[in-house]
Amino acid sequence: MRRRDFLRAIAGSALAAALLPEESAARFLRPADVPADLAVARNGEPAQLVQAAVEALGGMSRFVSRGDIVVVKPNIGWDRLPEQAANTNPEVVAEVVRLCYQAGAKKVLVFDHTSNRAQRCYLRSGIQAAAKEAGAEVSFVHEQKFRNVEIREGVELKSWPFYKDVLEADVLINVPIAKHHSMARLTVGLKNIMGVIGGDRGAIHNHFARKIVDLNTVVKPKLTLVDGYRILRANGPQGGSPRDVQLLKTVVASTDRVAADAYAATWFGLGPQDLDYLVEAHRRGLGEIDFRKLKIREIDLGS
Amino acid sequence: MRTARRVSQLLFFLLFLYLFFEAVYPYEVALPADLFLRASPLAAVASILASRAFVSTVVLGLVILALSIPLGRFFCGWICPLGTVLDATDRWFKRPRRKVGQRESTRLRSWKYALLVAILAGSFLSVQFAGYFDPISVITRAFTAVLLPLLTKVADTFVSLLGRVSFLENITFSAYNRLQEVGFPTQQPLVRGSFLILVLFLVILVLGKWSRRFWCRNLCPLGALLGFVGQHRLTHRTVSTACTDCGVCQLMCRMNAIEDGYRITRTSECIECMQCVDICPEGAISYRLGLPASSSHKGVDLDRRRVLGSLAGGTLAAAALSVGFVGRESSSSKLRPPGALVESEFLDRCVRCLECVRICSSTGACLQPALLERGVAGFWTPVADMRHGYCEYNCNLCGQVCPTGAITRLSVEDKQKVVMGTAYFDRSRCIPWYRNEDCLVCEEHCPIPEKAIRLEQRPVQLPSGETRLVKFPYVVEDLCIGCGICVTKCPVEGQPGIFVTTAREERFTARGEKVRKEEVPAYGR
Repeated sequence: MRRRDFLRAIAGSALAAALLPEESAARFLRPADVPADLAVARNGEPAQLVQAAVEALGGMSRFVSRGDIVVVKPNIGWDRLPEQAANTNPEVVAEVVRLCYQAGAKKVLVFDHTSNRAQRCYLRSGIQAAAKEAGAEVSFVHEQKFRNVEIREGVELKSWPFYKDVLEADVLINVPIAKHHSMARLTVGLKNIMGVIGGDRGAIHNHFARKIVDLNTVVKPKLTLVDGYRILRANGPQGGSPRDVQLLKTVVASTDRVAADAYAATWFGLGPQDLDYLVEAHRRGLGEIDFRKLKIREIDLGS
Repeated sequence: MRTARRVSQLLFFLLFLYLFFEAVYPYEVALPADLFLRASPLAAVASILASRAFVSTVVLGLVILALSIPLGRFFCGWICPLGTVLDATDRWFKRPRRKVGQRESTRLRSWKYALLVAILAGSFLSVQFAGYFDPISVITRAFTAVLLPLLTKVADTFVSLLGRVSFLENITFSAYNRLQEVGFPTQQPLVRGSFLILVLFLVILVLGKWSRRFWCRNLCPLGALLGFVGQHRLTHRTVSTACTDCGVCQLMCRMNAIEDGYRITRTSECIECMQCVDICPEGAISYRLGLPASSSHKGVDLDRRRVLGSLAGGTLAAAALSVGFVGRESSSSKLRPPGALVESEFLDRCVRCLECVRICSSTGACLQPALLERGVAGFWTPVADMRHGYCEYNCNLCGQVCPTGAITRLSVEDKQKVVMGTAYFDRSRCIPWYRNEDCLVCEEHCPIPEKAIRLEQRPVQLPSGETRLVKFPYVVEDLCIGCGICVTKCPVEGQPGIFVTTAREERFTARGEKVRKEEVPAYGR
């Protein structure tokens, strides 16, 4: 946030507080309205869930300032339909894009380094259409845009090619879907970062915990928003069978990427300690593994 | 008239280009991408002759063949995209100047009839080499193997150059992205043996050094077929009494179809380009419709000896090729596209056009032209190279663009159940097996909803004495369809830790029944 924006926000809030009727002013200033650091929204449609969760964190303007270039990074890895829960829900992505623009973003970029053919994944995931509709610039990953980055805090990896747009963006918002994964056990936010790297991605898969944390020391999302509208409980990361999909109608948003993943793990009956890459991430100071230590807000949109 | 013909050539060539670029995922189109291939009378006749069955997809080819009886070689002059390319490139070459009345040699033009007879003899004996010479296949192959990879390369180079100029970067990448959104490759398609395809195509172009339309005059078996059936055509080049015997028409005729004396036309050679009508200084030449008058035309100049010779030659070649050695290992590691007919029928039908390779390059990118893995008789037929690409689980496009039904048209749901082959681990190269470290990229990519590759976790005692839990992958044979994505994505350098063979492979009969290898008596010849 720029200083001018900050001052403007302060002045605006003060003015609003002064002008509001007593009752709403009281609510406005209630301690509970201090933004949470982890918000869980349940029982709503994708767009509502996103709105509610982001609102509970203090609104998108907490992360996105006027004129920012924002990268919204969903999982578009597979040639699968939204109902198959292998990619982030398209409406979740679209709503995040909309909120970014409402917060004054200059440009919102949406892309993913896909596993299946990009054109197929973009089309069948529904994300290309939905994000474009919301005004995002949706583009395929271009090989020419990978830049080798030195990983100063790297344990296994000393350098790796990263996508230029992510390196240069003002804000990165990670929008993973929570899915079963036979090796990582679970793929959520930290693993979703594999979609902004190039190189031989297959090679990341051994000594996975250390390598994925290495990569996450380079790019730091300001906001992680986990799509739990539908989750894939088995045969991930691609799934394919409706039997493995659970309609959970939940979205988790957090300023802490480790906590966001740890929370999502509970949906699968896993404790944070069960995921060795989360343990590694916590140990190396990427975030809080015990999400209960964060300021949590839970919103139930169901009646 | 000449203008009309040029417009027709240009429009058909643009249509050909459009259809070529339309042959990409998602392929939701009004016109089939293989329209020109289906319209080739040679491919039609050869595939019907070889399979001894009516091939419904090539009806258009038969219609054009039938139209050629009254209309002659109009296809060559007005439609054929290779002919159009040759008309364009022939201008580049300087040929020796000739004086009026100095006619070019007609000696070589019977070669194409010999080639046609040999091809048809081969087709009849189920050794299909029509596709190597069919002009539509020739140009489709060249576009697939050379032009498209080249275009991609050029575009990539431009993008990386312009992309480094900061004020051009955004506009460059967004323009490139727009291009890719409408079907331009996001990864460069590369075709095995493209060098040979390029060289042979260049040879066809360079022959223009000796005469215009050298290929069409002397070599094209499709031209021969159309010339043969159209020799008694009902369109006539008529020379009026205004003719002053200046000889310009003969001098300029791209097909060398005007006999000495300038009044007689070789109908089997004339492609009705109408140039003579337009260039005649006296306006003495016109085209008329009517029954053939023997005084104004001559048909095919075939001598019986050559016909019999090429018949014998084609038969011998077919016989020799049919006993060609097919390596058991090489053939079983090169899978056929899903929906391929049983091998013998597949070889009969396939016209080696590489249209399936072209469309596959936009999705899974596994299909490649075979070199000799499937024997000499299988040269340039499509096989899957799983290390390069994989058969995309949700894709059925190769069957949609096969002009002769060599690959059965299947719905995506049906295609997902077709077993192309089976995967096997090579435990001496697979990371968990030989290094006792987790990897599992294959399992992650396996598209089967129930997973045909699964993991079994077991403790392993390492040489250091330490015990480690390792997830070992294995193949569930009954679920594997041999799509090969595990092979493509295997991170082991070079030879992968998993491979596919044609074990448990399923093929189709021409009637559309799915059969297992062991259920077909004469399978694979």
